[in-house]
Amino acid sequence: MEASDLNDHISRRFNKDIEDLRSSVLAMGGLVESQLSQAIVAMVRGDSELGLQVARDDYKVNNLEVGIDEECGRILATRSPAAGDLRLIVAIIKTITDLERIGDEAEKIGFLASKLAAMDRPADSYRELKTLGTHVSHMLRDAMNAFARLDVEEALEVVREDEHVDEEYDAIQRQCITFMMEDPRTIKRVMNVTWAARSLERIGDHAKNICEYVIYMVKGKDVRHTGISDSSEIPDN
Amino acid sequence: MTTTGRKFAIGIMLLLAAGGAIGWFYDRPLTGLLLAALLTLIWQVRQLLTFERALRTDNFNDFRSGEGIWEQIYSRFRFERDRAVRRKASYRSLLKEIRKSTNAMPDGAVILDGNNEIIVSNRAARTLAGLKRRKDRGQRIENILRDPEIGRLLNDTDFGSSAEIPSPLIDGNWLNCRVVPYGADQKLLLMRDVTERTKLSKMRRDFVANASHELRSPLTVISGYLDALSEDDEMPAAWGKPVEQMRSQAARMKHILGEMLELSRLESSGSATTEEAIDVASLLERIRRDFQNPDAAPILLRNESRAGLLGVRAEIESAVVNLLSNAIRHTPQDGSITVSWRSGPEGAELIVEDTGEGVEADQIHRLTERFFRVDRGRSRTEGGVGLGLAIVKHVLARHDADLGVSSEPGSGSIFACRFPPQRVVVAPPVVLS
Repeated sequence: MEASDLNDHISRRFNKDIEDLRSSVLAMGGLVESQLSQAIVAMVRGDSELGLQVARDDYKVNNLEVGIDEECGRILATRSPAAGDLRLIVAIIKTITDLERIGDEAEKIGFLASKLAAMDRPADSYRELKTLGTHVSHMLRDAMNAFARLDVEEALEVVREDEHVDEEYDAIQRQCITFMMEDPRTIKRVMNVTWAARSLERIGDHAKNICEYVIYMVKGKDVRHTGISDSSEIPDN
Repeated sequence: MTTTGRKFAIGIMLLLAAGGAIGWFYDRPLTGLLLAALLTLIWQVRQLLTFERALRTDNFNDFRSGEGIWEQIYSRFRFERDRAVRRKASYRSLLKEIRKSTNAMPDGAVILDGNNEIIVSNRAARTLAGLKRRKDRGQRIENILRDPEIGRLLNDTDFGSSAEIPSPLIDGNWLNCRVVPYGADQKLLLMRDVTERTKLSKMRRDFVANASHELRSPLTVISGYLDALSEDDEMPAAWGKPVEQMRSQAARMKHILGEMLELSRLESSGSATTEEAIDVASLLERIRRDFQNPDAAPILLRNESRAGLLGVRAEIESAVVNLLSNAIRHTPQDGSITVSWRSGPEGAELIVEDTGEGVEADQIHRLTERFFRVDRGRSRTEGGVGLGLAIVKHVLARHDADLGVSSEPGSGSIFACRFPPQRVVVAPPVVLS
């Protein structure tokens, strides 16, 4: 399936419906992206007000999810889409669930940032969280780009990238455990850091899921749990 | 009819006439005519087929020229064709020049159609925002630039505003985006890298905050000793006045530093929280009680609404205090100051009105500048610090509100803070016991 395939329906209205639906999913993605990057900024700068702002704004993401879900149901009921269109709708229904979960994780990070802002800050101002956060937000950005461009190569790139995120998460966890063993007084603070890292790692997983839906949408093949990491391994149909 | 055309027609007619004449000679005129017509037809069909073949193979060298009207058609065709080729080449090079110049532009430009789908983008747009030249043609721009601000810009039909979004390619870089109407139902999205500017303004803000902070501690020491000196009975009387003056100036400096710090804090933080509903009416009453002074102009309070304002109480209070102390400073004792609070469907308004000296129209827009004074001659001790209205402006910006100023020199000024409806809550009806 190519991007142009989405625009060759006989019904002009259907074209527009599909295109609007895609745009609203990507708008939701954009909102989630900005929520995530603000949550990371709040964490790194120790800005409790910004962190709470992110936590408060999560309702916007939720509203978008409900709206898009409804629209998908309407299109399924009235247009009975088939083939590529059906795959698109199915992929969208799944994608928005993952996006909403990413929004929830960003909310969590924002909340943790406001909590951590009130505690002692380490000299490196959570540099390792910043690195992981940047990594994960790049993954999310690339996942949404792959969704917009129906780009299988880019989607696979993100799927491969998830491994590095997992490694980074492990490293942070080890580091945190060391801190806690060295000085038990830091446990309360470091626990919050591990929670934030955990949330970031989950976001990476959700971004990976979205990319798998993109591959499903374009190629019609389900690559979940198959370990496929190269486009030549995906049979064309 | 051209000469060639006439020649062609006369030739055909002569041929037919010759056929007829020969037929008539043999007493069969119709058969002769028919044979001549057939001959003409075969000849012309042959010419037509050759021409068609020449067109098909694009090889005109083999085409047998020199046969009357066909030669004419042939040369005319070749002439037009060559001209079209030349014209195409010149358009192509012109197009190349145009593309070269748009690519040389340092600012990104994207032409969008009515559905915000990308028609053309220049090279800067591709390097700044990561657009792809071929792949993204026909894609909606908000699918690629997904920052919520872009969606707001595209839906804005006034085309007046611009937005700063984080660069989708490089972390920490910022793009300033504008949308302008373009052609019939098209839009032009312009992008500019403003990373340097953003960094500079952050540096300026940090510098002001740090400098004010650093100046505060030595000042505390100085004013502490001055306080002690002024209370010292053994100090020669001649030093009394200078010490008193130093004290008041030190206090003034402290005040200025406090306001500068407050200002830089307001500037660097985003939108104010909406968690607390401030009871503006009672806040105004309290502030009026504090300010009421028999030596100054009387303050009238007109609370026309009990609506609450969502925001930060301390900031709103400091804005009102600043507006009110300005009004008192500029209003003679026999004048009057009116503070009103009213709300409606399009938001709420807090208005401070005075019958004081007023401001010249050309200075109104400079009022909120830092350290700006209307009256340069006014002594610095008598006047304010000059940061009051700047603080008011930033407080209002943090509450999504704006400041409207109208003034008539000699008869007074009106400062109106207009809050949008989403910042206003209608307070529950007050139960009277």
